[in-house]
Amino acid sequence: MKHHYIDRYSDLDSPLHRLDPRVKILLAFFGILIMVSEPPGRLPPFAFYGGMLLVLLVASRLPPVFLLKRFLILSPFILMASVFYPVSLYLTKETQAIAFQREALEVALSIFLKAALSLLLLIWMISVERFHVLLMGLRKLKMPKLVGTISILMYSYLFVFWDEALKTTRARESRTPGKLTRAKLKTYSNQMAMILLHSWERSKTLHHAMLARGFHGEFYSLQKQGLKKRDVVFLVVFLLIFLNVRLFSGSLLNVAISLYHFTISLFTITIPQFDLTTPLLTL
Amino acid sequence: MAARIKIEDLSFSYSPDKEVLKRLWLEVNPGEKMGLIGPMGAGKSTLLLHLNGLLSGSGKVFIGDTGVTKRTLPEIRRKVGLVFQNPDDQLFNPTVEEEIAFGPLNFGLSPDDVAAKCDYAIEAMRLRGLEKSPTHHLSMGERKRVALATVLALDPEVIAFDEPFANLDPSMMTQLLDIINGLTATLLIVSQSMLPLISCCDRVAIINQGTIVAVGPVKEILRDEELMRNNGLDLGFYKKIFRDFFKENSI
Repeated sequence: MKHHYIDRYSDLDSPLHRLDPRVKILLAFFGILIMVSEPPGRLPPFAFYGGMLLVLLVASRLPPVFLLKRFLILSPFILMASVFYPVSLYLTKETQAIAFQREALEVALSIFLKAALSLLLLIWMISVERFHVLLMGLRKLKMPKLVGTISILMYSYLFVFWDEALKTTRARESRTPGKLTRAKLKTYSNQMAMILLHSWERSKTLHHAMLARGFHGEFYSLQKQGLKKRDVVFLVVFLLIFLNVRLFSGSLLNVAISLYHFTISLFTITIPQFDLTTPLLTL
Repeated sequence: MAARIKIEDLSFSYSPDKEVLKRLWLEVNPGEKMGLIGPMGAGKSTLLLHLNGLLSGSGKVFIGDTGVTKRTLPEIRRKVGLVFQNPDDQLFNPTVEEEIAFGPLNFGLSPDDVAAKCDYAIEAMRLRGLEKSPTHHLSMGERKRVALATVLALDPEVIAFDEPFANLDPSMMTQLLDIINGLTATLLIVSQSMLPLISCCDRVAIINQGTIVAVGPVKEILRDEELMRNNGLDLGFYKKIFRDFFKENSI
């Protein structure tokens, strides 16, 4: 069976792949928080956020086509979100002056940019780390055990469901040539029911197999996790840059200093022996 | 280490109107390899699930001196390894290495012990080179070996196999038989393919309608045509095929 893993590029080797999963999670979480807290209609900072994100994506060596595909799959939801809010604003306002139309457009654009960049940041996060390792990172960040277990089981269930869907589709297609017609709807509904039943049965057996090997609700990893100095430096520098742009509008000097720090932190995670203190102290 | 399996007066039903296991008694000696045969729906797989407490009916199940109860489940699951009929029902981790480490990690072994157990299981199951492979990219024979490796990594005292010879080509069957013959744990092997049992089992038990109807040396039981026929396990079909095949060859 062919599976489309959401974390299929997590095995690439890049400096960002080597970061601790907690850093990736915190970076995505606070990055999104800072971006969405931008006032509606304020557009210039997004050029900077976008630039930073581009650096992250390029440094992670993720294939652009893959990113574009992922983005396009989810983009209809972003478009819907960005269109409806200004439209509702427009309809509820008494005045429909041209100035307001421009304001609505800016609000729509800022919602679109917030959603799009947040989505790209999330795509980056799940592409540079294995899904179950991310969940283990969340557990280390004190996420309740039950939430982690449910998430990882749900993720596994998707593949069971997909397997069963493919199997039953093959079985149906081998006996029902041609296109979907109204007469065949009953066959499709029967197939849906069978997919659910089969995947439920198989999930039960898988759960038995897990219990038989001592599963007690916790997932472990062979990968050794531990925050290193470079992890912390990278996270702090990245978030400081974002905060700087958010709070001080990213003045040219601030942005230049931030970019310098960011480049230094990238060097630090790429070359562990790189001495960080000297260049930082000079600024 | 190998432990004795002792099942006393075990009954179990999935629904109130149909008992799957009926007052079943069975004893397997430490280190013994016992086959369990019977017609479809006789209760073979259900019996295996009782060995490490995945199902619990009325009656008693002992692994060594430890009774299978809710309280002893962690110990029992460490002692009893189950190899499921379909490896796809057993493998759920992204890579072979992670799949094999799942059990040892869950039992709280130290990283060094986990690594050593994985190494042993990979070597024993001839999986060297496949450690980083995704499990769904492997062939059926390889997936079966990984499923067995996941159990071997726990170093169990008892291993229960559910249809290990199903869907294997002759060379893979030979490989699996070699591996099974090399195991020192107590083995209970459920199989519809009876011929491989001759080459790997000391004794065989027949289960029919939830009860053990006969236990004895493999060849003795399989040669008892009446017993086999009465329990829906007639080997006359194979006998005829082999006779005709060899007759043709001699011509």
